[in-house]
This record gives sequence, C-alpha cells and structure tokens, in this order.
Amino acid sequence: MTLAATAAHSAHSAYSVLAAQPANPAHSGFLSPTGIEIAFVLVGIATLGAALVTVTTKQLVHAALWLVVALGGLAVEYLLLTAEFIAWVQVLIYVGSVVVLLLFGLMLTKAPIGRSPDADSGNRWAALAVAAASAGALVWVVVDAFRTTWIGLDGPAQGSTEVTGSFLFRHWVLPFEALSVLLLAALVGAIVLSRKRGKEQS
Amino acid sequence: MPPIPGSGLAKGLAVTLRTMTKKTVTAQYPDVQPELPPRSRGVIALFEENCTVCMLCARECPDWCIYIDSHKETVPAAAPGGRERSRNVLDRFAIDFSLCMYCGICIEVCPFDALFWSPEFEYAETDILELTHERDKLRAWMWTVPEPPALDPGAEEPKEIAAARKTAEKLEAQRAQEAQQAQEAQQAQEAQQTQQAQQTKKEAEGEE
Amino acid sequence: MNDALDVALRLVIVFAVFMVLPLVVGQTEHKVMAHMQGRLGPMYAGGFHGWAQLVADGVKFAQKEDIVPAEADRRIFQLAPAVALLPYLLVLVAVPIGPGEGAVGQVVDAGIFFVLAVMGVGVLGSLMAGWASANKFSLLGGLRTAAQLLAYELPMLLAAASVAMAAGTVSLPGILDAFEWWWLPWQIVGALVFFVAGLAELQRPPFDMPVADSEIIFGAYTEYTGLRFALFLLAEYAGIVVLCALTTVLFLGGWHGPFGADGLGWVWTLLKVAVLAFVVIWLRVSYPRLREDQLQKLAWTTLIPLALAQIALTGIVKVAIN
Repeated sequence: MTLAATAAHSAHSAYSVLAAQPANPAHSGFLSPTGIEIAFVLVGIATLGAALVTVTTKQLVHAALWLVVALGGLAVEYLLLTAEFIAWVQVLIYVGSVVVLLLFGLMLTKAPIGRSPDADSGNRWAALAVAAASAGALVWVVVDAFRTTWIGLDGPAQGSTEVTGSFLFRHWVLPFEALSVLLLAALVGAIVLSRKRGKEQS
Repeated sequence: MPPIPGSGLAKGLAVTLRTMTKKTVTAQYPDVQPELPPRSRGVIALFEENCTVCMLCARECPDWCIYIDSHKETVPAAAPGGRERSRNVLDRFAIDFSLCMYCGICIEVCPFDALFWSPEFEYAETDILELTHERDKLRAWMWTVPEPPALDPGAEEPKEIAAARKTAEKLEAQRAQEAQQAQEAQQAQEAQQTQQAQQTKKEAEGEE
Repeated sequence: MNDALDVALRLVIVFAVFMVLPLVVGQTEHKVMAHMQGRLGPMYAGGFHGWAQLVADGVKFAQKEDIVPAEADRRIFQLAPAVALLPYLLVLVAVPIGPGEGAVGQVVDAGIFFVLAVMGVGVLGSLMAGWASANKFSLLGGLRTAAQLLAYELPMLLAAASVAMAAGTVSLPGILDAFEWWWLPWQIVGALVFFVAGLAELQRPPFDMPVADSEIIFGAYTEYTGLRFALFLLAEYAGIVVLCALTTVLFLGGWHGPFGADGLGWVWTLLKVAVLAFVVIWLRVSYPRLREDQLQKLAWTTLIPLALAQIALTGIVKVAIN
C-alpha cells in the first residue's frame, strides 16, 4: 500500500511538472507503439511484479530488496518520461536512504534467513481494500487531470533539473513550503517523543 | 596557551610523511644475507675435543633434546709403575633441533667449552628426522662459529687469560730464579777455584 | 553506425579506466603505506619493486574455492558483490576528465544527483552481504554500515549542493565550465566535508568501523572468499577513485589548471585525483580507527553544521555577486 501511494504520489509530482508543457501534436494516436512506449510498459510490468512480490513474500529482507527493485523500476519510468531529475532523486532518497533505513531496522529485529512464520497479517483483506481504494483514487485523479497532455520526446528534456526547479519554485512554492513545514513538524514530534521516553526512564 | 585545534592531526600526518622520505630498514633476506653478531642463536656447534662426556648439558636441557652415548676406555699408565687410568670416549652426540628451544642452557653449563652458538640458521628440512644433527654435523657447524667480540677497552681481563698469564709469569719467575741460582752457584764455584789456585800458588811460593 | 562505435569506444575506455585505476591505487597503497611504516612493501611479483603484486593477488583469488555458507541466503549472498561494485562503474561514466563533450563518458543532466544516488546504491551491497552471510560479525558489520551511511549521506549531499548553488547547475561538466580559481577558498569547507563524508561512506580508515578487522573480522565480508571477496576489495578501491574524481570535479576545478587547460586538461584531472588518492592512503596510515559514537558525533555535530554554514556562505556570496 505504501508503495502504491509512494509511486502514485511521485508520479503525480512528475506529471504536474510535465503538464505545463505545451502539448506536442507530433505524437498522434492513442498508445502508438513507439520503442519508448514499449519499454515503458515492460518496465512498468516488471515494477508491478516486483511490488507484488514485495508485499507477498514471507522473507522480510527479500521484501525490502524487492522494494529496491520496484523503486528502481519507478526511477526508470521517470527517466523514460524524461523526468531525469525526479528519477535520480527517487534513487537517492528511496533506494539510497529509505531502504537502507528499512534494512537497518530489519537487521535490528533479527529477521531470520528464510521464511518468517508470522509475516502474515490478519487484516490483509482490509489492507488490500484500502490499497485498492487509494490506488484507484490516485489513478483517477491523475488520469482525469492529464488526459489530453502529451510529452514531446524530441528536443531538450522537459523534465530537466532547470525546468523542474523553476516550476517548483515559481508555480508550486506554497505546496513546497507547506511540505517542508510538515516535515519539520514530524522532526520536532520525533524529538519530543524520544525526549519524553528518556525522562520516564530516568 | 591551548594547542591549535587540529594540530595533533597535522602532527600525525607529518610523522608518517617524514617516515616515508627516510630510508627503510627492511632486510632483503634471501637476496642479502643478514650480518649476525657472534653468539647469535642460530645453531649449536660441538667441539668434541673439549668434551669429557660429563653429561651436564644433556641433564640440564629442558627439552631433553641432547643424546649422548659413550663408553669407558682404560689408558695404560703413563709412567712405568703408575696406575692405569680410565677415560670417557664419546660415541654419539646429537641434538634434536625439532625439540630444541634455543635456550642456550647447554652452552652455559658446559664446563669445558665444548658447545658454542653459531649464527647459521638455514637448516630447515622437509623431514623432521633430519633435524636431529649428529656428531659430524655438529662438528661441521663448529667451523662457522665466529670469533667472540672484542672486550671493551677498559674491561677486566678474562679469567682464562688471567689464569694463563699468571701461570706463565710464575713459570718465568721460577725459571729466572733457577737461572740466577745456577749463575750464583757457578760464580761461587769459579771464585772457589780461583781461591784454590791462589792458595796453591802461595803454598808453592812458600815452599821455595 | 558511427554513433554506435562512438558509444562503444567510450564505454570501453571507461571500463578500462575502471579496471586499471583501482589497481594502481591499490598498488600505490601497498607501497606508500609500507614506506610510511619504514618497510619496503611488495618487492618480488613482476620483478621491479613488486609492480605486479595485485595481479598476482587476483590470480590467487581466482584460484580459491568460492564458498557459500550452508545457512546463508544463497542468492543474495552471491549477488551482493556485484551490487557493491557496479554502481562505481556507472558513476565513472558521468565524470568528465577534460573540457568539452569528448572527455566524458555520458553527459548526465542531473550529474550530481546521479553520482550521489548511484554511489548510495553501492552500499546496499554491503548490507546484503552483512545480512545474507548468517554470521553475527557480518550482521554487526552490516548494521554499522547502515548507521554510518545514514549519518554521512546528508553532509555529503549538502556539501555537493553548495557547489551546485555556486555554479547554478547540477551537471558535472556545467560545474566545471563555471569554475573560477577563487572557488577554491570559497568552497574549501564544503570540500573538506565532502571528502571526509565520502571517506566515511567508503568505510576507509579512519572510518572503517563497519569492517574493523581487529574486532568484527571484516564486517560484512567475513564469510566471503575467492573472487567475490576480491570484488568487494575492488569496489573499495574503485570507490576511492570515484570519490577522488568527484572531489576533483566538484571542488578542485577538474581539468582547470595554471596552464595548458585546453589540450592537457585530462592530465590536470588525473594529477588531482592522484594527489587526493595519496591523501586517502596517507590518512589511513596516520590515524587510528574512530569509535562508533565518535563516528556519529563527527557526522551530526561537526560535518552537518559545517556543511550548512558552507551553504549559507555560498548563498551570501552568490547574492552579493549578483
């Protein structure tokens, strides 16, 4: 579920950048099978498969490593969508830091090599329902927002760092700042929580 | 004044850099033989002429790695009418260097200076039995024993040399005394002869 | 056809550099470390001052049996060395060694993010190895690797961001094009932070707590033998080359030099990389290993504030110039 949300969220930000580009009339026809589109679909299938294995495998560390594959696949999709900057940031943040943190936590839990017998959750159906609902909502929002937008693959990359940066700080400054305040709140909250526990112990 | 922050780190870097520019002290062993001082603990050599088969070395050895076989021989009397004497003859003297721990106790305890340290150390073998060096091998090592290092200029005279010198001096003094005595006796004799001759002369003159 | 040939040629050159430079650094480490300790180092292999020692080592590693512990997670255990090594090869593709488009394997628009992201992936190899070995020393090594990575990734990124701000671009050739000599004193703090954090990320001494051979044997690599172990070692030395090259490009002006920058730019780059690699070795010989808490303290209380201060300084100067 987390994965789907992450993917959809990141995809949304990428699309929002690209959406502002003028539509390119050179690409006509829905799903014309160019090489890049075929690659996009194939990588997408692989990413989806990796994501499915991530949530179904009973080996905890394998799940984390499959998550690496899924996130890497997403980065490749961004690349294919010419959103180079987003792709590398995806690798840097998710593969380089989030998964490392995840593995760090897993190692501390003494995850066994092989299957964990208690890896199953009792409320898997509820989880599935929530995941499906949120994925559906996100897909619907994205599709509805960018139905008629086309990306021109020829010419300079439209998701380059410069373009992304100027869009982020010209048109989307407010959401950006709101997000950073949110993160700051989370940080402060984490510090407060850890402080409190320390006092109780002492 | 407190030290500048990071000066310790810089000092550490300086030490390694300085060491790098200095000449290294590594011995290039197989290419260049090491120069080992006398009495280096390489291998033990036997000078069997000095050995009296007293067995002190074999008994003191902590590893029991010295093997000695011997038998007694009787030596005929040196002078007619004297007693016959028995003498120990060495049959086997071997040191098992696979057991030896190179403590050097055997060399220390030998009262007759029959065992010596030799700095030779290249005697590794593929068969452990070959590490037991028999008498002839131990003797061969003897020719590799270097001269002991010279004493310090102000050092006390070594006891052996002092004793030998004392004996020599005593002998010389004795000989000199004897010679003097002999000379005196001769002079006395000569004087007596002269006196006698004079007396005879006087007597002869008196008779005239 | 010509394009394909061009791409193939570039890849072959990058691969050759990737295979040769780490070995050169390794051999230099043998010799420099030996002389700094009053020794001679390898003297026999190859004849002249043991120049072929690492080749001989490679032959030895290739002959060794490839052992996978019975309790290990087989596939991950076998995959880990490749995950550790390949990212550094990818990074080298994006590093420009001279002026112009001809002197870089592939121009990557978001170059800084690309190299830092891919280098971060390399550490996953150590984590995989540490977990999959089914060995408590490996697990400890993996844990320490993860903790160290989390602590030092941030100052490294911040220091790189400072340069990107100064140049107004995140592409590596772009940064070099914008470079002026006075950036050197301007960005010196950032350079130090970047270099130190990079050393820590590579787990080089004095930041080698995760592999500390005297206490946890060799950390995540305890159970490895033969070629896979050699690959981990190669990854370490490739990491040195990559870190030195990145520091050169970001902070020392890459192919810029007092003279001859147009024709001999690549010489300047190589020279600077060589000097930095020497410093890496020098630091290894000079300093003892930092304790785990000292490692964390250095990162969070020294490097990150320094990096933030550098960013502030960069911003102020940048605004003042404009």
